[in-house]
Amino acid sequence: MAIATRPARPVERPQALPKHHFWGAIGKFVRTKPLGAAGAAIIVLMALTAVCADLIAPYDVYEINQQLQFTPPSLAHWLGTDEFGRDVLTRIIYGARIALFIGLVSSFLGATGGAVIGVFSAYLGGKTDLWIQRLMDILLAFPLLVLALAIVTVLGRSIPNLIVAIAIPVIPRTARIVRASALTAKENVYVEAARAVGSSHLRVMWRHIVPNVMAPFLIVLTAQLGSAILTEASLSFLGLGTAEPTPSWGLMLSGGAPMYAEKAPWLAIFPGLAISLAVFGFNLFGDSLRDALDPKLRHRT
Amino acid sequence: MRGFKKSMWLLAIVILTGLWAVSPALAEDKPHYGGVLRVALAGDPPSLDMHQEQTFMVTIPMSTVYNTLVMFDPHQYPKIIGDLAQAWTVSEDGMTWTFTLHQGVKFHDGSELTSADVKASWDKIVFPPEGVVSTRKSLYQMVKSIEAPERYTVVFRLHYPAASFLSMLAHPANFIYAKKYLDQDINWYKTHAMGTGPFKLQEYVRGASLEFKRNPDYWKKGLPYLDGAKYFIIPDTGARAKSVRAERTDVEFRGFAPVEVEAITAQMGDKVTAAHSGQPAHWGIAINVDKKPFDDARVRQALSLALDRYEMVKTLGPLTGLDTIAGPMPPGTPWTLSPEELQTLPGFGKDHEANLREAKRLLAEAGYPNGFQTVLTNRAVKLPYIDFGVYVVSAWKKIGVEAEHKLEESATWSKSRVTRDFELLVDPFGFAAEGDPDEVMVKFTSSSPSNWGRFKDPVVDQLFERQKVERDAQKRAQLVHDMQKRVMDQAWEIVGLWWTRVEVRSARIHNYEPLPSHWMNRRLEDVWLSAR
Repeated sequence: MAIATRPARPVERPQALPKHHFWGAIGKFVRTKPLGAAGAAIIVLMALTAVCADLIAPYDVYEINQQLQFTPPSLAHWLGTDEFGRDVLTRIIYGARIALFIGLVSSFLGATGGAVIGVFSAYLGGKTDLWIQRLMDILLAFPLLVLALAIVTVLGRSIPNLIVAIAIPVIPRTARIVRASALTAKENVYVEAARAVGSSHLRVMWRHIVPNVMAPFLIVLTAQLGSAILTEASLSFLGLGTAEPTPSWGLMLSGGAPMYAEKAPWLAIFPGLAISLAVFGFNLFGDSLRDALDPKLRHRT
Repeated sequence: MRGFKKSMWLLAIVILTGLWAVSPALAEDKPHYGGVLRVALAGDPPSLDMHQEQTFMVTIPMSTVYNTLVMFDPHQYPKIIGDLAQAWTVSEDGMTWTFTLHQGVKFHDGSELTSADVKASWDKIVFPPEGVVSTRKSLYQMVKSIEAPERYTVVFRLHYPAASFLSMLAHPANFIYAKKYLDQDINWYKTHAMGTGPFKLQEYVRGASLEFKRNPDYWKKGLPYLDGAKYFIIPDTGARAKSVRAERTDVEFRGFAPVEVEAITAQMGDKVTAAHSGQPAHWGIAINVDKKPFDDARVRQALSLALDRYEMVKTLGPLTGLDTIAGPMPPGTPWTLSPEELQTLPGFGKDHEANLREAKRLLAEAGYPNGFQTVLTNRAVKLPYIDFGVYVVSAWKKIGVEAEHKLEESATWSKSRVTRDFELLVDPFGFAAEGDPDEVMVKFTSSSPSNWGRFKDPVVDQLFERQKVERDAQKRAQLVHDMQKRVMDQAWEIVGLWWTRVEVRSARIHNYEPLPSHWMNRRLEDVWLSAR
């Protein structure tokens, strides 16, 4: 006897998102959060500049040109030249690369480290949590720049050391926020269920806690990125970061700029503007991201 | 009669008015007691013992506390006059020098200075015991022994009749210390200041200031005129210049870049005097020949060829004061290499494109067709160290040599030099006495403590040995020329540029002229300040 097999109901095929949906989402973001969109635009501009530096830079970043020393902004040199005759615009473009690279790597390292500590601390609870939090408090007691300064002084000047020095202060700041979310996530019933079924601690943390802390993690990451860029500029300014002739924005501010401020004010203005814009962009975007993903976090530091 | 009386009164008034107007001007020429000289100083002295240090940060403040045996006359350089020495005689063969000391010279602690103190101080400089540094001891390689046969007599016996001996003796770093304290602890003077000089150290606040006050019992009667001197430690060049402009300090004793000098004189006009006092120092690059690939002369020559000195001088001159091209011996002397001689040496030829090609060819021949990576260790002082380093690092990129510009704080950089913890090192060298070849060229001999790269070239050593005993001036000059050419041809050291020192001082400072070296004329014993 043939049994007719027919599906009880027509199977619904999952529909691919229509293309305009993606642009629609962007459009919605721009309309509802114009400041955040502006911040995002700045970030994208900076990233493009950093990536395409070799293509868009009008001149060589290291070439010293005696005839061109101290030329004010002009058509040939939009942002003028410095005391060595090097094009300021070119150096700002390459500076974006250094700022982004160091900023990204150090904040990513720090935030990831902090997130791991935060999740572990929240999940394990009890005495472990207590001790870890006290350790985080000690690190938090130092202002960010002071801690970074101390670390670079001990480790010595080099780009890897700089990245470590900027990453370390980010750890406690991330840990604290991630831990708060992790504590909430821990209370969910499915976590208990997973443990009951026999999942290992690591598996539970990875599969059930971590996805719930991604939102705060991303928010802190973007916020710390702006801060990391500022810290790198500050350390270079203080003479503990990158060294001349590397084109770091902070270094440009500390090098000839104060000495030649009367003769060539553009040497200080443009790197300063670049730093301000970068930090501003990340802060704006980070704020809007936070609002979009988790309005509850609005009142946390 | 009435008319006569009136005109007499008028005459009297005119004369009195004239005298009143003229007398302050007359008074200016007469030394005036009082006032504290305020000096802007670039950094903390690493220690207070000049014998063991190499930086102006010690010489400039500490020279006020001590006397030397002989000195360069601050008003008639390069004449040498006695300081603690009242007179001296030389034997016929030039090998024995006998100095008679002034009597009744008191140290700040009240004890009298005798020949024993002079001998103890000079023994420390020329024959330093274990654990004591004396980087200038090579200047005194002609000294066989120092004796103190009588209370006020010191005798120097030499190995050979050196033409440069008196000049070396007059070097400003040769402070005379008290034997009593050297016997207690040979390093006592690193942390204490106690001499026979016109000023006493009153207070030293690290990172802030050194304050000296007048020694009322100074053995040169009537001196000093000043009540004291205060040295403000201001590491930032811009801030130092601003302190002079704002009249918070009266003088900066090392030198400012032309850009700063312009700004200061434009703002202050007659209130300051800017003096181009000379060219005491040269910036070059020392090469650690024990690190590959620097043992290969071709690599060293390539590094020198890549630097276009003629362009460098135009770029760095206005920024840093590095504005003169010459060989290792200072410009303007019979020892100076002529432009024609210079142009035959690697890196000093006028055709820079040809030099670059030659450099790349040499590197390829030595096995580095694509260049190599290295580290240039430099001192974290903007002028002219950092700017010089930036120029050099940028220039080397053109031949494929990627040098990491490693900046170190002064104390660390000093240590890196001594322990040879470098591949390439920005190396200032110069003179603080007269610029005699014995003072300047000794650095390139294989046994010199300041031969940081530790290269050993027997040709160079031999030429030095011959010139130091040569009494015929022309023959000696030829030997010195040959020695310079050999050093530069082998590129044992990369010669850079000479620095013109421009000292800016307040017009209130009298009886003082800057001498070529910023180490000289720092005792301030006969300097006076006019009222504001």
